[in-house]
Parts: sequence; C-alpha cells; structure tokens
Amino acid sequence: MTDSEFDVVVIGGGSTGTAVARDCAIRGLKTLLLERDDIASATVGTCAGMISSGLKYSDEPDIMAMCSKEVMHFNHIARHIIMKNPILAPLLDLSDAASDSSYVDSYSAHAEEREVPSMLFLTPEASREIEPMLNPDIIASVYYEEFFIDPFRLCMLQTLDAIKHGATVRTYCEVIGFDISNNNDIQGVVFYNRVTGTTEKINTKLVINATGPWAHKVAKLSGENLDIRLNKGAHVILDRRVVNVGITVKAIDGRWIYLFPHENTTLLGTTALDTWEDPDSLVASFDEIEYLLQSIQTVLPSIREARIIRTMAGIRPLVPEWKRPEGKVTRGYRIIDHSENGGVKGLISFTGGKLVMCRHMAEAATDLVCKKLGNTAACMTHKQALPGNDADVDVSALSKEYGIALHALERMRARRGTEMLKVLELTKEYPEWKTTICTCEPVIEAEIRYAIREEFPQTLNDLRRRLRLGTGPCQGTFCTFKAAAILSDELDLGGDDFLVDILDFRAERWKGIRQSMRGEQLAQEELTLGMYTCVANLDQSDVDYDIKPWEEGS
Amino acid sequence: MNEDEAYEYVKNTLKKELITPYHADELEIVKSVSCCINCGLCINHCPVVAAIGLDRFNGPRSIAVELSRSPPEYWSTADKIYLCTGCGTCREVCPKNVDIPEIVNLIRARIFEHRPDLVPKGFMLVKEIIAEHNLAFEPWVDREEKAESRDMRLERLGLPHIPDVVKKNAEVLFYPGCQAEERTQEVREAAKVILDLFAVDFTVLDEFSCCSLPSHLMGDEDSARNLAKQLKKKVKKLGVKKVVTTCAGCTSNLADLAERDNWGTPTYHLLEFLAEEIGFDRIKQALKEQTPSQSVHVSVHDPCHLIRHTSRRIMDYAMDILSLMPGVKVTESITHDSCCGGGGMVSYHSRDVADAVVKENLISLEETGAERLVTPCPLCTAQIESNLFKSGSSIEVDDLTVFLAQRFSKE
Ligand SMILES: Cc1cc2nc3c(=O)[nH]c(=O)nc-3n(C[C@H](O)[C@H](O)[C@H](O)COP(=O)(O)OP(=O)(O)OC[C@H]3O[C@@H](n4cnc5c(N)ncnc54)[C@H](O)[C@@H]3O)c2cc1C
Ligand code: SF4
Ligand code: SF4
Repeated sequence: MTDSEFDVVVIGGGSTGTAVARDCAIRGLKTLLLERDDIASATVGTCAGMISSGLKYSDEPDIMAMCSKEVMHFNHIARHIIMKNPILAPLLDLSDAASDSSYVDSYSAHAEEREVPSMLFLTPEASREIEPMLNPDIIASVYYEEFFIDPFRLCMLQTLDAIKHGATVRTYCEVIGFDISNNNDIQGVVFYNRVTGTTEKINTKLVINATGPWAHKVAKLSGENLDIRLNKGAHVILDRRVVNVGITVKAIDGRWIYLFPHENTTLLGTTALDTWEDPDSLVASFDEIEYLLQSIQTVLPSIREARIIRTMAGIRPLVPEWKRPEGKVTRGYRIIDHSENGGVKGLISFTGGKLVMCRHMAEAATDLVCKKLGNTAACMTHKQALPGNDADVDVSALSKEYGIALHALERMRARRGTEMLKVLELTKEYPEWKTTICTCEPVIEAEIRYAIREEFPQTLNDLRRRLRLGTGPCQGTFCTFKAAAILSDELDLGGDDFLVDILDFRAERWKGIRQSMRGEQLAQEELTLGMYTCVANLDQSDVDYDIKPWEEGS
Repeated sequence: MNEDEAYEYVKNTLKKELITPYHADELEIVKSVSCCINCGLCINHCPVVAAIGLDRFNGPRSIAVELSRSPPEYWSTADKIYLCTGCGTCREVCPKNVDIPEIVNLIRARIFEHRPDLVPKGFMLVKEIIAEHNLAFEPWVDREEKAESRDMRLERLGLPHIPDVVKKNAEVLFYPGCQAEERTQEVREAAKVILDLFAVDFTVLDEFSCCSLPSHLMGDEDSARNLAKQLKKKVKKLGVKKVVTTCAGCTSNLADLAERDNWGTPTYHLLEFLAEEIGFDRIKQALKEQTPSQSVHVSVHDPCHLIRHTSRRIMDYAMDILSLMPGVKVTESITHDSCCGGGGMVSYHSRDVADAVVKENLISLEETGAERLVTPCPLCTAQIESNLFKSGSSIEVDDLTVFLAQRFSKE
C-alpha cells in the first residue's frame, strides 16, 4: 500500500471522528482522518464536557447503563483531564419534586458503578450553606455528582493516540467528493487542502462519515440522502467559578438547564432549538441568553451580577426522530451503512450520539469496519490509556525542580498529565521559555512551542483549543500578539499571515463576546478595543482579510 | 440516608474536591475580583513585585485573573499567595477596585483548611500561641516582670503610669492590640496618658484577647471567627460606646468586623479619636499648657492598614496634630505611604522579602535628613526600626502615640 491507499478514511475530527480513528488505528487498520478545519473545532468544542450519567434519559435505561459504563472507562483511560462536580438541584415547590421523581431512581440505579452516591435530599439550610447564592425560598434540594472531561484535550489525545498507532491525520482538508465505481462502490475520497489550496485524492476501502451536523451534506457528496435532526444549543460562559457546586433547575419551559463550574469558568446552558442555520456562522441569540438567565435566576436571584465573558453555540446532530420535543429524542446514536438500503457501498455515517458515548460509537463503527474487512482484532480503546494518564504527577516537586510557578504547572498537568515532562524538558535548554504568555490561564511559552511542534496547529485558534490560550476573562487581550509572534517564529509565517491570524483570532473571540456583551465585560472590551485599534492600529491595516459573517462590514 | 447524614456526606465530598463553599459574607470579594480587566496597572505599584521581581511573586494582576479563579486549585497558589503583604496598594490604584488583599486571605483560608502541609511553618507556631493564649505573641510568664519592664520603659520615656481601670458602660474601650499589650507596652501606656489627659471615660478589657487579624491573614478562619466572636461578646458585655485602638491593623480589622458582624460599636484609631471626638481646639489648648520640649526633626510613615484599609484621612489628622506641636519639624519622605513590608505575615516565613520591601523606604527616609521617624502602628515601628538598626542608620523610630504622649504630658 502506498501513502494514498487506506483501509479506512474517517471524515470529521470531532469527538466521534477522533475516537473512530483511534479505534481503527489500534486495531491495525491503515487509517486516514480528514478534518476540514481543526481537531475539535466544531460541535464538540461548544459542549459542556459533561460525561453524564444520562439521568435526563430515564426513559432509555439501556442508554443510561451505557453512559455509566463509559464514564468508568474514561476514568480509567483519561483521568488526568477529568473533574468531578457536585451538583444541587434546588426545588422551589413540591410539584418540582413530584413531576420528576423517576430520574432519582434511574440515576441511583448505576451510581455505585461510577463510585458516586445515590441521589440525596438536603434541607434548605444545608443547601444554602453549600451555595449561599440560592434563593431563600427553596424547600429542599437534590444532590448528585457528575464527571466532566475537557472536550478539546479528549479529542486531541484521541488524535495523538491514533497517530501513535499509525494513523495519518490531516487537518484543514475538506472532503469535497468521492470516487465511486460503476458498481456504486466508494474507491476514493477527494479533498481540498485549505492550506496549500490544492485538491488531492486518495484511495480507500471504506469511509466513515463522522461529520456531526454536516453528516447529511457529506453523505450527499456520494449521492446519498441522510436524514438528521439538527438542534442548536448555546452556553453562556461566566468568569471564574462563581458557584461552589453545579446547579440544575427546570427552565421556564420545563426543560432542565444547568450552571456548571467548568475548569476555571462557569457554564450556563443550554438551549435547544431545531435549526437550519449554517453551523459555521452560528451565534447565540439574545433570546437564548435571556432564556438561560431568566431560568437560572429563579434559584440564583443574583446571577445577573456575575460577569459574563462570552457565549458559545453548537449544533447537536440528533437522530431524526420528528414530531416530538428535542428532550424526547433518543440520546442514542445510529450507524447507517448506506449499502444496506441499496445505496453506495463503503460509506458508513453516524447520526445522534454524545460526547460521553464517543468511544462506544467508535467501537461499534469499527466493529462493522473490521467485519467488512475481515479484521478480527478486538477493541482495546477502553483498556489502553490515553497519553499522559499513566501515572500521578508530583507538580510540587516539578515546580521546585524547574523553577516554574506551581499553579502554572497544575494547569499544565490538567491538560497533559505525565506528558507535561516533555514540555518542561524544553525549558532546560531554553530557560527563557518559562515566560507566561497567556496570563489568565496561564500558559507558558514552552508549552506553546511544544504544542506547535507536536500537535500540528496552523492558527492561534488551534493553539487555543490545545492550550486554552485566550479563554480567560480578558479573552486574549494580552496574549494574542505574543502567541502570534511565537507561532510565526515556529511556522516561519510572513508579516501578512501574522496579522491575518491575529485578526482571525480576534474575530473568533468577538463571535462569542458580542452576543452577551454587558456589565463588567464592557470595560474589558473597551480596553481590548484600545489595544487593537489605538495601539496596534489593526483597524487601519490593509492586509487581505475577509470580514466574517458575524462582524459588521464597513 | 436522612437529610443530616446526606449533608455530612456532601460536606465530605466537597472536602475531597478541596471545595470550601464561599460564605455569604465572602461573595462581595469574589465579585470584586471578577471585575479585573487584566490591565496590569497594579503590577507597577505592588511593593513586593518592585522588591523581588515578577519571577518570584507574580503580583496582584495574576492573583485576580489567574490564581483566584478555581477553588479546587487554590492549593497550587501556595508558592505565591503568602508573599503578598496585604498592603492594598493594588486595590487603591486599580480602576476596578479589585479587592486583592481580601481574596488573598480567602485563598489562604482554603489552603489552611485543605492543605495544611503547604502553609508556612512559621504560621503554625503563631497558631499554637493564639490557641493557647488568645494572643498573637507569647505572653509574659511573670506578671511582675511584665510590670517592671513597663515601668522601665515609662521611666526612659518620661511618661507617668496611669493604672488600668476595668468598668462597665464607659464611653470608650481602649484596645491596645497584641503587640502593645505584650511587647511594646509603652504604646499602651502612652495611649492611656493621652486619654486621661483629655478626661476620656475609658476602660480596658478585663482579659485581653486578639482582634483575629493574624489568624485571618494566615488563613486560620476558624480561629479568626472564634476570636472575633469572643471579642464582640466582651465589648457588648462592657457596654462601651466606642472602641479606640493604637494599632493600625486592629483599627481596620475591628472596623471590618464591626460591619460584618453588626457590632454597633465604631472603632477609632487614637488619631481619629483625637481629631474627631476631642477636637483640635482642645488639642491646641492642651499643648499650650505644656512646657515646650526640645525641637525635633521627624518624618512620618503611613501604615497601610490606616491609609488603604481604613481611610487616608487618618494620616491627614496625624499631620495636622504634628503641625500644632511646637518645635516639631516634619519632612515628608517620598515613600511615606509605601508599605514597610511588615504586613500579611510575610516576615514569619520570608523575612528576606519583608526586608527587601522596606529597603526603598529606608533610602528615601535618609534623604529627608530627619532624625526620627514616627508612625502610628507598633508593627510598622518594629519592622522599620529593626531594619534601620541593621543598616546602621542613626534615625530613631517612635510609635506616634508615644511621641504624642511625650509632648502632651505634664512634666
Ligand atoms: C450546547 C451543547 C452542549 C452539549 N453538551 C454535551 C455534554 O455535556 N455531554 C455530552 O456528552 N454531549 C454534549 N453535547 C453533544 C456533543 O457535543 C455532540 O454530540 C458531539 O460532540 C458531536 O461530536 P461529533 O464529532 O459528532 O461532531 P463535531 O464535533 O461537530 O465534529 C464534526 C467534524 O466534522 C468536520 N467536517 C464537517 N464537514 C467536513 C468535510 N466535508 N470534510 C472534513 N471534515 C468535515 C467538522 O469540521 C467537525 O470538526 C452537547 C452539544 C451541544 C450543542
Ligand atoms: S496587597 Fe500589596 S503586596 Fe499584595 S499584591 Fe497588592 S500591592 Fe502587592
Ligand atoms: S487588579 Fe485592577 S489594576 Fe490590576 S490588572 Fe486587574 S483591573 Fe488592572
């Protein structure tokens, strides 16, 4: 086989696609992953990262059982990027309690496996000790625990593991067509390389379409119709952990919404709207932001005083069940073998699914691939750990050894586990790389250089996904230029590319900031504006830059 | 599980996750830090950053945008968070009034609770002394020796001894603070001389106990809240209307506690009390009756706990009072309001840092040509005095209360 011959091509570098590529590679298949943008650049990057017990899906006991198992697997293979969140569901009146008692039992049924307690009931006094911002009128609250994973790092680690097992990964390569033989068999994939601006073609035996909310469009490239229900969800992101524990509550329309501490921020989500919008230019709407704030305000009356940094919105690629509300659509997934209904051979698509079940989805799809290709290797993805998970890291000792702030190292550990040693190694030769570049997170220069060398980013936005660069309260006000200089140095970018990348990064931040801009964030934006226009003169720049759909054209 | 068992269970989990829920009275602090816009203005004003550099102490901006964002990670700030002297300079220059000194205490409290192994060892000694004696300093074993030491000091300073009175319903409780209670007793005595001179109806505590500031600064919140409760009870029981103290730290801490815990009794620094309650007319009158003492050239140091944690007006009062004193020439040093390094309990674990901070003050102090430095805080007095001594300077240091008492007292 040459470099243009593959057993399987996986399209899409979200949680699903990277999990599939990893599974295929571990089982010894010659695998190519094609992603038109960056790893984790779409839906998965807008999700809450909850690897849920599935308690909202008490109607689907099989799925709850599966979710619980998957949480255990993640805790085994990726514990370094997982955090536990204690959660309160405060009740304002008895009908809240009565209407939903089934979830209490169904949550508790699998609690033990995940090593968390059954649901507990707390008095209003105890609840307010745990969360003093709670409305004094609550009558009780339910307590439970869930695990959360860093979705960006999960996708990245799955990708790196796939590469380690022989897979080829190509980002910024958009699939634009298929090479289909006369007997309707897929033989090759045609894609456009967005970096070089060229079209390339490779041959493959099978194709897995893991393009989330684009799945129907990619299927269409082969002439296949794929029914899918697209559903928009938005989050509001608050600065720092403003609540002591997660809070869930019934929204004004009776759906469940939540406020979860997540890393060093708090996420308020989410909405659910059937959508026909373009996932690429999607933003949270005013109504979505208000809906979330109004709903959480019933139990946390002072929440509007908290600082909102930005919003993010994504599209759930749901299983096409129609004529029922989003919340009643199955949380399971479907694997569609297009050849089964007499369609094109060699194309397998996903609909549905969740972050929490990406490994499970990958296992099922890879089983099917192996069966078709006559490969008998067993799935190992739940047994073999992801990079960095192998041992505990003593950050205190490392802080002393390398002379780097403890907190900076603790944040690095939460991204990289034991792999952080490779970053620190760089500082032996280049002690000046201990400099802090992103002050909010924080991120030091050595980790940026390491990520550029080992994790194939092309842009500042790619660096953000790998490092949380520019995701803090100042939203990259101070790190953008510094990080861009490092990126230009490593990738040998010219002056115009450097400026365009800065403009792109600012535009992407603006996409989330603008929708919710109010209160304290206004002062920040005023400062940012001053920096990038008055100081950097970027508004006067004549580089060739395309205004994004969400930016005001001039 | 019943509701009580459930609560215990939850508390246990929170502990495992290193989360201490924010108290209701801490929410304002958290809100204030979340207003930081990362402008960096504060960094250039932080005396610790200026003294030891950003590599060793990453400064107030980092505390606001980085270190204080996620409680489960607070333990990992232990290599930085103890280096802040709590001077409040950052808060004063910050365009958003971000309350760095208090978030520092909040973070220290979390480390104290969850990772006592990371708390500076020097703090643990203080904690033990406080636990045993309700005092921040080891008390005198022998009461008589303590009195002897007091009398020697009074004699040296030429101050009379006003015996302690403990009584109910006095107008004023005079509260000297631990340092003046146990160590620099002359400050305690001098204050009584002044109160007596102006015929203030005052009492002292029957049994002195710490105001809780050292515990609060170390992060020992349980002890801090306990001491605060104890003191409130004593003040209420005595039925006094006002509390007057000679310590800058006690002034700001008691004012904060009175507000947080609804004491209903305002706290004054003695300088404030003189200016606002006695009045400048009476002060002038009192000075007229004295035989003028020798002329003296002084410079003044402004304690952080007065100017930045209470009000800058208090030091204006000090200057006004000094200007009334015949023979007293005051030359302001350019670092008169810069932290002496003695705050935040920094010297208990990183003496080199505390001393590096005071260095700048010493240089500009020498430039004033003053022969004496006065400051209304026993802790600043001790920190500056020992560093002047080490540097071989001839400048002497007086607690301002002592300095005033000497010039007020009839001899
Ligand atoms: C607001 C919100 C909150 C959520 N919260 C949770 C949660 O807490 N827990 C949970 O388990 N799940 C959650 N989900 C669901 C979960 O995020 C998604 O189901 C899952 O991440 C989808 O991953 P994916 O890989 O299928 O899709 P995506 O992440 O969208 O990946 C698809 C990829 O395909 C690429 N692509 C598209 N077209 C092409 C092409 N032609 N060529 C090459 N590449 C292409 C895209 O660029 C994209 O990177 C949430 C979803 C939303 C919207
Ligand atoms: S309180 Fe003082 S020492 Fe602490 S960070 Fe602010 S300026 Fe620096
Ligand atoms: S604390 Fe205040 S002065 Fe310092 S960076 Fe933040 S906003 Fe600026």
